[in-house]
Amino acid sequence: MKIISKISLSLVLASSLFLATVNAEEVKADGVKSVTEASLGLRKTNLYVEEAETEGAATKYSDAPAGTSKKIKRAFQDAPPMIPHSVEGLIPIKIGNNACVGCHMPAVATAVNATPIPKSHLIDFRPKTAIGDDGRITKDGHAVDNTSSQERKNISIKENKEEKLTGARFNCTQCHAPQSDAEAPANTFETVYSDKDGATKSSWIGSRMTDDLDTLIK
Amino acid sequence: MALSRRDFLKSSAAASAAAAVGMSVPAPLQAASNEAQKEWRWDKAACRFCGTGCGIMMATKDGKIVAVKGDPAAPVNRGLNCIKGYFNAKIMYGADRLKQPLLRVGSDGKFDKKGQFKPVSWERAFDEMEVHIKKSLKEKGPEGVAVFASGQYTVMEGYAAQKMMKAGFRSNAIDPNARHCMASAVVGFYQTFGIDEPSGCYDDIELTDTIVTWGSNMAEMHPILWSRVTDRKLSDPDRVKVINMSTYRHRTSDLADIEIIFSPNTDLALWNYIAREIVYNAPDSIDWDFVNKHMVFAASPVNMGYGMRNAKEFKKYPEMAKKYTALERETISQEDEHIVSAKEAPALAPYGYKEGDKMVNKPAGLKHWEISFEEYKKFLDPYTLDYTAKISKGNPDEDIEEFKKKLQTLANLYIEKGRKVVSFWTMGMNQHTRGTWVNTLSYNVHFLLNKQAKPGSGAFSLTGQPSACGTAREVGTFAHRLPADMMVKSPKHRKIAENGWKIPEGTLNPKGHQHIMKIHRDIEDGNVTFAWVNVCNPYQDSGSAKHWIKAAREMDNFIVTSDGYPGISAKVSDLILPSAMIYEKWGAYGNAERRTQHWRQQVLPVGDAMSDTWQWLELSKRFTVADLWGEQTLVSTGGKKKLPDVIAAAEKMGYKKDTTMFDILFANEKAKSYKLDKNNPVQKGYDNSEGYGDSRKVKGSDGKVFEGYGFMIHQYLFEEYASFGRGHGHDLADFETYHKVRGLKWPVVDGKETQWRFNAKYDPYAAKATKKSGNSHAFYGTLAKALSQGDLMGIKDKKKKPLPNKAKIFARPYMDPPEMPCKEYDTWLCTGRVLEHWHSGTMTMRVPELYRAVPEALCYMHPEDAKTKGLKQGKLCWVESRRGRVKARVETRGRNRPSRGLVFVPWFDEKVFINKVCLDATCPQSKQTDYKKCAVKIYKV
Repeated sequence: MKIISKISLSLVLASSLFLATVNAEEVKADGVKSVTEASLGLRKTNLYVEEAETEGAATKYSDAPAGTSKKIKRAFQDAPPMIPHSVEGLIPIKIGNNACVGCHMPAVATAVNATPIPKSHLIDFRPKTAIGDDGRITKDGHAVDNTSSQERKNISIKENKEEKLTGARFNCTQCHAPQSDAEAPANTFETVYSDKDGATKSSWIGSRMTDDLDTLIK
Repeated sequence: MALSRRDFLKSSAAASAAAAVGMSVPAPLQAASNEAQKEWRWDKAACRFCGTGCGIMMATKDGKIVAVKGDPAAPVNRGLNCIKGYFNAKIMYGADRLKQPLLRVGSDGKFDKKGQFKPVSWERAFDEMEVHIKKSLKEKGPEGVAVFASGQYTVMEGYAAQKMMKAGFRSNAIDPNARHCMASAVVGFYQTFGIDEPSGCYDDIELTDTIVTWGSNMAEMHPILWSRVTDRKLSDPDRVKVINMSTYRHRTSDLADIEIIFSPNTDLALWNYIAREIVYNAPDSIDWDFVNKHMVFAASPVNMGYGMRNAKEFKKYPEMAKKYTALERETISQEDEHIVSAKEAPALAPYGYKEGDKMVNKPAGLKHWEISFEEYKKFLDPYTLDYTAKISKGNPDEDIEEFKKKLQTLANLYIEKGRKVVSFWTMGMNQHTRGTWVNTLSYNVHFLLNKQAKPGSGAFSLTGQPSACGTAREVGTFAHRLPADMMVKSPKHRKIAENGWKIPEGTLNPKGHQHIMKIHRDIEDGNVTFAWVNVCNPYQDSGSAKHWIKAAREMDNFIVTSDGYPGISAKVSDLILPSAMIYEKWGAYGNAERRTQHWRQQVLPVGDAMSDTWQWLELSKRFTVADLWGEQTLVSTGGKKKLPDVIAAAEKMGYKKDTTMFDILFANEKAKSYKLDKNNPVQKGYDNSEGYGDSRKVKGSDGKVFEGYGFMIHQYLFEEYASFGRGHGHDLADFETYHKVRGLKWPVVDGKETQWRFNAKYDPYAAKATKKSGNSHAFYGTLAKALSQGDLMGIKDKKKKPLPNKAKIFARPYMDPPEMPCKEYDTWLCTGRVLEHWHSGTMTMRVPELYRAVPEALCYMHPEDAKTKGLKQGKLCWVESRRGRVKARVETRGRNRPSRGLVFVPWFDEKVFINKVCLDATCPQSKQTDYKKCAVKIYKV
């Protein structure tokens, strides 16, 4: 056992010497800039040992209580907005206890300075699925061979009569997340809002939901 | 609101365009002006991420992606995506995208293992690959050339890679990261049904009354399926029951009626407990007519080890053995011998073991045999409520009587007549040293009750990756597989593939043993000296990671990584190739409900990045018949086995010695019959970088500007692959159809998809097989469908009895995992994903919104544990196992809330390299790593 430990110790030493070279600063050869291994990727520290310098980027979510924070611009037209306020005490979301809807339902949202849940969230897009008497699968009462054709009977857009969050969108945190105050890795995506209030408002309503669905005729 | 004249014209134009393909705009929708988006081109695509397989609508403007929205026509997700799904828009735009090949060179400009990376041309990159592959082939044979493949390959890429590896290099050392994600599910399918992939479909969610999640945090890992579960639950909260079975509390518990926290690995006991309740206490619930017609009972050896290295290997490779510390060897020694514990002894009693016995392990392979029902009943006897509750209660602070009540309720829900039940599982049951076993146990319960392969009922394996089903499994990019459920081991299957590929008989290598952990170990042993990483990150995602990153850097080998971003695998490579990412190429994925979905190339790749398909084709130009098809030695057989020289046979087929693999495998006459056609409605208006080249004028393998292959390579690869499955239960529709629909669930027969496989009412193959018998089901898979007879202890009569159209109910006991908490390493470590990040984070950590949502991997633990160990919320701690340690911040109030004694640390964060801590033990049958359990200690930094 002792021998093994000794050998592995010397291996560690040998590899750390080797790594010292790998992690050297950028050098130039043939006039073309070389790229060091350590400069690549998100982890810039020594990959082969776990020492003091390596740690995750600390999470710093906003402390601002709901209703007091500055809204975060949407990442692109109709992107889900991120949560600018503290969610402490507001999640987990449970049946009979969804704190998000308390402020964000359209009827109350503006009064409490919350982003109102848009119309798309009050619409049920899923056709009623059932097994007919003959054993065939039906969608909204129609027997279908394929669940995926672009026929009208396979697309179902039903607005709730009363203002009610649709069941499929009950788990708010599956799309909306709080944001840590952190320097994120750079991204060159260019935001282009098609609508002038695109940074703050959903435009995904009415025929915009279906206008582009036929992708073969353009 | 009155419509403006322009809106009216716009909406009627849309309506008439839609009507032309049989789609009409839903009537009550108010026309919204799309004037502002008139420069935008919207197209359908599949999401890049999990196995759910959501449809997205993607907008491009001036050659860039500008937006993503949910696709209301996509049956999987109906207009809704999860946070990752929406941010598909930004995943290709991280600032550090790889744009040029990078090679490690010395000061003389030549390749140098210890050199810095320097940008090189594609031509130079392929030169280096050619040289190193030829060297490996010469020194190590075909087994010396390996590929880390992927469940995130497009169907076409996976097919191209597998064809070049198996037909060209004659190497079966191609195995996907999907091995880590669903291999146990696959072996479970093969052993139970004789064929891979689920019987059910997602419509089960809307049709069921009961959803039981076993080791599956659906709320985070399959969020859209979870939204469907939620919708179903909210639609009928009293009738619909949701039960979450897990080793720690997570978001899926938030909506569950019952949460059962069990001790790691005891899911084996829990499934057997439910089966025991059925057999012993509710025998009337067994549908004997169904069972007699469709089932046999089976058993297999229990002393099969844990898929780790063994004493024989350490002896054979003394240099390698030195790399394993005494501490590591404490756990690894279990591979050879295991002492039966008090916890597992009652479950092993029917096999003749008692507490303290030494179990000598030996490779068991996939061997199993038929037993009687009486024998199965004897096997179930130990799983009383008392024993099961005693070993499986996972929360030390929960009252045992309360826990027992929950188990009883769980069993009752399964058993209740007329109650439909779906059991979903993911990595908890697959990443398991008895993963194959626990997968088969799930079907037992459903079979006994005749609640399998029926609308709203069935045990349903959810896949992790977007095309683990579509590419890894269906295309067969595994060491042991060929397309469409064929196996390299089978002479008949090899012949079918050889004919289909127009290569000489005898070309294909019959020995497929290099699964993904074996490839890592072969690199450490020096048996694999060339490895190429495709669409995965094996140096971040494998347990005992320290060994593999060292083997990549310190051994005499050549490691290549193709990727969009420089992840850990790229860093430890010798050559890095810039890959086109998902929407920069044509592609197809297959999801967990057998749904195949295609998309078109939306934008040009960045820099000089090119698709993996292109990279494989360019590489294939470098190898000729003479290079690859002479006699080859299989080193793993000690040189005893050789692959025959097939050059003469190739010449008889009209090939010459210098014909390249490119001409044979990819640019053959058949391939060229798939035409590029700018007027074809599928191709019209879309880039095709492989077909035509593109405006970037990337210089290819020969140093000249790549002008395109001149034929529709994507369609060719797809159609040729599909030809293997058509007529064999794997029927796919044709390429063009998939561009008109939101995916179809195979088998697609006469233009119709299949909802419930094996059910004669829904599956045309089952209907055909039951024509005479009139049976309700036919489990028509053909693999391992003749069994010897025996009892729990072994085979008694070797003669094999066929069992056509039958499935199997397996006796498989509870056993401990090889490493459990002890005095020194007192805590269970479980690892996995979080909603906002995908796998190793190479894409999602570069999307600012996702990065900021979860910027670091946290160590989730119970507040009491933190207190006892002197740790503080938000402060750093060390998480240390026998293999290594990492630092992470303590989280006691987060979305995951473990009981005392267990911590959860996700693996997406390069800076919290948790796989250095994890163990690389696997299910010995499926070879899938168990990332869900090892023993750690946690202390203050």
